[in-house]
Amino acid sequence: MLKLMQNEWMKLWSKKASWMMVFLLVLLLFASAAIGKYVNSTANEGVEESWQAVTAAQLEVNKAMIMDPAMNDAQKDYHTGQIAIAEYRLENDVRPFEFTSMQQGVIDAHEMLSIVTLFTVIIAAGITASEFSQGTIKMLLTRPVRRWKVLTSKYLTTMVFAVLLSVITLFTAALAGLIFFGIGEGTFLEWNGSEVVEGSYWLEAVKLFILSFASVWILGTFAFMLGTVFRSSSLAIGLSIFLMFTGIQAVFLLSNYEVIKYYLFTHTDLTQFYNGFMPVPDITMTMSLIVLAVYFLLFLGISYWTFSKRDITA
Amino acid sequence: MDGKPIVQLKNLSKTIGKKKIIKNLNLDLYPGQITGFLGPNGAGKTTTIRMMVGLMQPTSGDVIIDGQSIQNDFEESIQKVGAIVENPEMYKYMSGYKNLLHFSRMHKGVSKERIGEVVKQVGMQNRIHEKVGSYSLGMRQRLGLAQALLHKPKFLILDEPTNGLDPAGIREFRLYLQKVATESGVAVFVSSHLLSEIELLCDRIAVIQNGELIDIKNVNELHHSQYYFQVEPLELAEEVLSGIGFPLARHDGGLVIDTEEQHIPGAIQMLVSAGAKIYTVQPYRATLEDQFLEMTGGGQIAQAHAK
Repeated sequence: MLKLMQNEWMKLWSKKASWMMVFLLVLLLFASAAIGKYVNSTANEGVEESWQAVTAAQLEVNKAMIMDPAMNDAQKDYHTGQIAIAEYRLENDVRPFEFTSMQQGVIDAHEMLSIVTLFTVIIAAGITASEFSQGTIKMLLTRPVRRWKVLTSKYLTTMVFAVLLSVITLFTAALAGLIFFGIGEGTFLEWNGSEVVEGSYWLEAVKLFILSFASVWILGTFAFMLGTVFRSSSLAIGLSIFLMFTGIQAVFLLSNYEVIKYYLFTHTDLTQFYNGFMPVPDITMTMSLIVLAVYFLLFLGISYWTFSKRDITA
Repeated sequence: MDGKPIVQLKNLSKTIGKKKIIKNLNLDLYPGQITGFLGPNGAGKTTTIRMMVGLMQPTSGDVIIDGQSIQNDFEESIQKVGAIVENPEMYKYMSGYKNLLHFSRMHKGVSKERIGEVVKQVGMQNRIHEKVGSYSLGMRQRLGLAQALLHKPKFLILDEPTNGLDPAGIREFRLYLQKVATESGVAVFVSSHLLSEIELLCDRIAVIQNGELIDIKNVNELHHSQYYFQVEPLELAEEVLSGIGFPLARHDGGLVIDTEEQHIPGAIQMLVSAGAKIYTVQPYRATLEDQFLEMTGGGQIAQAHAK
């Protein structure tokens, strides 16, 4: 299996497109840091707002939120934590990170994973489909290797690629933050359920990355299935990206129906249990993980079934 | 043919939709023998070959390679097969060497030295590190052959291998295949539309039409001794020659006679003394094309050539 993955890895990096993706990703991260710096320097000119004032305002908002009867437990926990942290900051004079600091950049870097999703979808859609369109599938499947092994090596390679891009995102964001903002003042605080403690912003960033990766993973798997079933990478890429953008919108449209609980895109953003923003309030993390696992098994099941049964006529 | 067959097709059938594409094919292939696979377009050549290399699943029947079923022991049986199915499609964005490295990783025990050896065998040392996208069709055919030979297969299956090769390339390819067959005892199965090529290359031909194997012949069997007489008047010559018991047939304004060389002077003498005028006497060989047309009923060869 390792040799098969080595093959897939070699093919992946022999294509210029893969290198272009890494290059674009790094470029975009630097650009977004540069834009952040520029916007901040022009928009905030003359506005002197102390961090105490901002924190106090946030405290009020959170206090109002917690009174909302529609809040579920996860959201209440989140806002309780936020209130505790804000109060602690004001009492003990511990400031949060500046908006334009390397630390805040690292914490926010997970938001850039949508680019990684996009690139992963492209690779996942093409990794099997391109073998068909180039005709190399005949060479690949007339080897003493069972078809499911070939497909597994392709799937794992796609996921390794996605993880690699995510790691690149995290470190590039840190580097860009360091270059454009420098290390800013402030301390990262977290609420452990009973008290406010000092935490590591790196650990926080990794947590957010892992939660955000669920969407890279499931959409990558979806595109992988489409590429395997339709043998056309353009169709698979198009359909996956279309769903990636419309799928989340549909959550809001469907939010009054029961079916929303089993809809994939209700569950793709796992950070919702962590930052209190939940479009569909009556779901839990466990439920999301189960739904994602079911979709995952379905997508892979269909991929394996069609790939190993199909007569190759390409 | 003596010895045990290395490949056996057993009642191989394929039905797609309601159409029976391949009907109960039975064929044995032996080590060291080159078998040509002929048939008009749409006869089922490609489908048969794809079933033999595991790209398609037979509806019924099986392919046995060195005693192992391709359906039940895929990895063990296909390990002994080297294949080029239609054009040798390679990863164009990688060098020839990386392509070979890629395929070698999918077999057990193909060393880097072996790759070098095969590259030398097909005469590609100079350009193996260039991207396949820059290769001519002939180069790609050679690379295709290299990948098929990497793991020293006992059975080589080639679909239209000389497509795109120039005459020198075809000749080289033919000599090379014959060498592999005789020296390493590899069974070779070649499909082609180039009938003259098959005639030169193969020891045996199998002809398929409408999904059925209609004939298997050894190539030297095709060439029993015949002579062509251009002679006048035809009726007189016919009378004289059949009178002494030569089997004959009219052909192309003359006569074709089944006989051995030593009877020719006698035949000429008799014709002359009977008053016939002889213009030409020459050995006659029915080409494979003639026989192929005869076997497959003609009409469809036009399509086969049009491809």
